[in-house]
Amino acid sequence: MAAVIEVTALARSWGGRPVLRIPQLVLDAGSSYVLSGDNGAGKSTLLRILAGLQPAQVERFAFEGNLLQLDRLPAPVRRQIGFVHQHPYMFSSSALTNVEYGLRVRGIPRNRRERLAHEALAWAGMAELADAPAQRLSGGEQQRVALARVKVLSPRVYLLDEPTANLDADGRRRVIDLIAQLAAADKVVVIACHDLEMINLPGVVRLHLENGRLEP
Amino acid sequence: MDLLDTTREAFRLLFSGDPTLWGIVWVSIKVSVLALILAGPLAVAVGFVLAHVAFPGRRLLVILVQAFQSFPTVVVGLLLYLLLSRQGPLGALHLLFTQPAMILGQMVIAFPVLAAYTLTAVQGADPRAHETAASLGAGRPRAAMTTLWEVRFGVMAAVFMGFGRIISEIGCSLMVGGNIAGLTRNIPTAIALETSKGEFAQGVALGIVLIVLALAVNVTLAAVQGQGGMRRAWQP
Repeated sequence: MAAVIEVTALARSWGGRPVLRIPQLVLDAGSSYVLSGDNGAGKSTLLRILAGLQPAQVERFAFEGNLLQLDRLPAPVRRQIGFVHQHPYMFSSSALTNVEYGLRVRGIPRNRRERLAHEALAWAGMAELADAPAQRLSGGEQQRVALARVKVLSPRVYLLDEPTANLDADGRRRVIDLIAQLAAADKVVVIACHDLEMINLPGVVRLHLENGRLEP
Repeated sequence: MDLLDTTREAFRLLFSGDPTLWGIVWVSIKVSVLALILAGPLAVAVGFVLAHVAFPGRRLLVILVQAFQSFPTVVVGLLLYLLLSRQGPLGALHLLFTQPAMILGQMVIAFPVLAAYTLTAVQGADPRAHETAASLGAGRPRAAMTTLWEVRFGVMAAVFMGFGRIISEIGCSLMVGGNIAGLTRNIPTAIALETSKGEFAQGVALGIVLIVLALAVNVTLAAVQGQGGMRRAWQP
């Protein structure tokens, strides 16, 4: 399997205290990873660093074999890394416009953009709520819109931060089903969570963080 | 002329479409709106950067921007006068006692108000808005525009507050405009002049226009902010 992301000697400190210290992390194409660990273990921090949202000291970072500066990723690489917050932010517009956002940024023409966004919302089971104001949707619905919003861009890497936290049983079930569908031969899916159902999904590789270190 | 007669005459001037009076109103609105349009983009950008980007000296700049909101307009006028007067460094531009000089002065006065209110609006923005835009592929300018759009009611409040500050200021307009009839005479300078001449009717009429403008700005602002703040249950 080809490595999509390779990181060597990643470290992050907060107030002089090390919060993450990872000698090596390799994320392979076609693999799904569950990043488990207690609250404060550094799961969200690691995902945010990989998404380029938070700085860290990194000795070596390679994306698809190309050595890059993690804090200065070129736009084409940055656009291959999709990140979803634990509580996704919904822009103050409809669910459809939210899903269209990344396509608009990429200059996709309007007709194609709308068609792709509608397809993504249908995939997430949100077709009927396409015109609903996204900020007034329930937590589970917002999470599904966020998954559609990132899936429509077809990134190489999905980084999902606690996607099932604070969802009811039905919402959790639907979100887990969608996440299972994100995995593909050329994709990497990394899910930070302590949801046992997610951890036990077939074929998922478990990475456990303990006090900022990856445990075997 | 007693107060009743003065008010009656003021309303007559207003509703008869008195060209002198409405010419003064036009100068006021034109100068203030142009000052806002010209100062707005840079001031909003400065407000955003101060709220969003960490750099050395940022805190000092924030304090300065907030302090300059209450900088006396007559001192702004004095400084501009010194710059624009014939012996001043910008005297060759021959801008003193022209509308562009008034616009320049009002830009200087509006700038810190616009920047400070934008700063507050962006500081109140959900940090996930910018992160979400960036993680969906937006570059810095695009992500900044998205964040500003998300706090658009706060940015609109900045624009209204800036307008409120400059439409009624007199010190700077008087110093660099010179209160020339038909050219640089705006509502505040005309009110001051007419009153000093004992001609109260036009002063009262212009005062009414100024009050209506100020009220309209505040009512619009309240309506806009209400629209942004109200959360009604959405029904499919």
